[in-house]
Amino acid sequence: MSQTKHIEVDQDFIENLCDEFGNREGTVVQILQRIQEKYGYVPADALDMIGEYLEIPKSKMYGVLTFYSQFYREPRGKYVLKICVGTACHVRGAGLLVDKVKEELKIEPGENTEDMLFTLEPVSCLGSCALAPMAMVTDTAYGKLSPDKMLGLIKDLESEHLSASEPA
Amino acid sequence: MLTEVLEDSSLHLEAHSSLPVIHIGMATCGLASGAKALHELILKEVASRNLAVKVVPTGCIGMCHNEPLVDITMPGKNRVSYRNVKPNTLTQILDAHFNKNEFAKKYAVCQIVIPGAEAFVGLPLMQEIPFFKGQVKIVSKRCGMIDPLSIDDYIAMDGYEALKKVLSSMTPEQVIDEVTKSGLRGRGGGGFPTGVKWNLTRKSPGPEKYVVCNADEGDPGAFMDRSVLEGDPHSVIEGMILASFAVGHAKKGYIYCRAEYPLAIKRLQKAINDARERNFLGNNILGSDLSFDLEIKEGAGAYVCGEETALLASLMGERGMPWPKPPFPAQKGVWGKPSVINNVETLANIGHIILGGGDWYASYGSEKTKGTKTFALTGSIKNTGLIEVPAGTPLREIVFSIGGGMVEKKIPFKAAQLGGPSGGCIPTSGLDTPVDFENVVSAGAIMGSGGIVIMDEAACIVDTAKFFLKFTQDESCGECTPCRVGSKIMLDILTRITEGKGQEGDLDELVRLSMYIKSNSLCGLGGAAPNPVLSTIRYFRDEYEAHIRDKRCPGTVCNDLIKYVVIEEDCTTCGLCEPVCPSGSVTWEKGEVAHIDLTTCIRCKACVDACKFRAII
Repeated sequence: MSQTKHIEVDQDFIENLCDEFGNREGTVVQILQRIQEKYGYVPADALDMIGEYLEIPKSKMYGVLTFYSQFYREPRGKYVLKICVGTACHVRGAGLLVDKVKEELKIEPGENTEDMLFTLEPVSCLGSCALAPMAMVTDTAYGKLSPDKMLGLIKDLESEHLSASEPA
Repeated sequence: MLTEVLEDSSLHLEAHSSLPVIHIGMATCGLASGAKALHELILKEVASRNLAVKVVPTGCIGMCHNEPLVDITMPGKNRVSYRNVKPNTLTQILDAHFNKNEFAKKYAVCQIVIPGAEAFVGLPLMQEIPFFKGQVKIVSKRCGMIDPLSIDDYIAMDGYEALKKVLSSMTPEQVIDEVTKSGLRGRGGGGFPTGVKWNLTRKSPGPEKYVVCNADEGDPGAFMDRSVLEGDPHSVIEGMILASFAVGHAKKGYIYCRAEYPLAIKRLQKAINDARERNFLGNNILGSDLSFDLEIKEGAGAYVCGEETALLASLMGERGMPWPKPPFPAQKGVWGKPSVINNVETLANIGHIILGGGDWYASYGSEKTKGTKTFALTGSIKNTGLIEVPAGTPLREIVFSIGGGMVEKKIPFKAAQLGGPSGGCIPTSGLDTPVDFENVVSAGAIMGSGGIVIMDEAACIVDTAKFFLKFTQDESCGECTPCRVGSKIMLDILTRITEGKGQEGDLDELVRLSMYIKSNSLCGLGGAAPNPVLSTIRYFRDEYEAHIRDKRCPGTVCNDLIKYVVIEEDCTTCGLCEPVCPSGSVTWEKGEVAHIDLTTCIRCKACVDACKFRAII
């Protein structure tokens, strides 16, 4: 797994966020969600800043952060390949999709590719079981996949990235 | 029955429209099948043909296997439903309706009756086709029929009528009586009578109360709530307003929705904003003394949060750990105040019950489970999708009539998995089980929230049990030892069995551990975790024994137990296995039995999966 440099956290952003949510009860989850929305993960520095600003023990913030599977403590790839491994997808071969991605991108579940383009994330049910096996990439659902179609999807995303990064 | 339900509410929508309407299914299942590109294409076609039409995106009508679905309604005619619509078929469909004044028979599934409209000859009605014949749509009535983003569409199909009725002519006690009379029980799987729950919350002292909607639909293989949230979000909102009124004017409500449902959250937020604008939410709703508002709380990925006390902890920004009951949420819930927690489907039923009456609702269903239940029908079955049937409908009818039987004709039914990780498997001998709360439990599973995954003979029962144990083990919050450690030991044993290292006595040990975990876990997650193992040992002991004693996997799923040998008698010499082999180990000549060279075979299973005749073991 590639070791990526962590992002520098914007102090003003954190303080504004704390001002918005801080005076209301039980908003730790929401604050973390907003941080992740901005940075793609929750940097450790952000956690320190909030803890200090709102006087919440770091242990508590860390406890909440690590409890939920959708919070990430490390930067993630541009395209997160969420492959559903729910029951219906499992029965219809979701494991083969995961294997294909592992083989093609040389990453294990939870890891990023060196170029930070892809992250492999097997997830529990995405609720489109009738189209099993399926996957979701940046909120777009892809149904009735096969290992070959999965490969095609990766290629499509690669060329999408290339054309987006080319100067106009 | 379906005719009655549909016509009764009548599709005023199209009846009012003098323009042709094109509906396109754009719930997650539709979108995953390419509905977005199709929607753009429809808009382009409409513009280039210069057509005066309304193009309306809808939710899910349930026929997920037929997505993307496009419906066309010409003024004065019934609505025609088209399946698996592709760019080239779309032009033919539009030609048929707009140039030739007919319908495209080749791609049409059925026609949906619009009162007073002319029917097409030679096309079955929706309620006549096998998929819909046994269904009764109450809670999913509007799904796929209306534009979920339009509050006017909702209102045109009796939306917010129940709220008006309650505010103008009913007392909170009368509302609770009506819900009690309907016999409605918690649709999230708990099955607790909703009327009783509401009454408990109403009787709890204190002026400050909360209404919470549990939209943390976490069971793998279940998507009923997603369909309702994406297809008819206002029905859930209306149900929550009615609950607020009934439990004693709760001022605030929360919808706790899992983060895996981005589209549902988006549509729900739009619906809340629109409802506020029309004063269905906010202060002094419709001029009454009821004030109620809603907030969506997005989950962060923890299955245990579907358990109500864990959900409350998460809602309050904590780790989602359950607490022992009592106190029940009806006594001490959000911020320590009395709170009523209902599941999406339960709440979406309330408006219909208030309008139709408790007796009407209770006229459907079985003795102890009244009304209808939605199910997500998936797995190795032909018609996968979302269905709604009267409680007590036999499993056989669901699988073979509505579901259309097995997807691979040659591979027979093995088991139906009901209730997800808390449920169990029902074998062929249990196909006549009426699907309601009590009967499914007697058969060794639970009705649960409504996920039904069909498995054929090519599935492995031990692998399935291992799958669910792995799931609960991953999702165990770790608070209590029986669940945290017990499920891990069970998973280790099951893994060993699937790897061919099973020992005599493993089954007894699994049963012993199961009993211990069931009786000593803190919450429902641990208490039900061993169910998938217990039910499969009960019905499929021989399959476990085949793994343990013969080191053989009858479903040819467990890779370590596959011998990669072609059975001559079963091989049809079709040759399907040869081209899929990546290492060139399969040799085959036309008319000859295939052969696998085990010295070069990399045991990838490609040939096993390719063989339709299960001739490679």
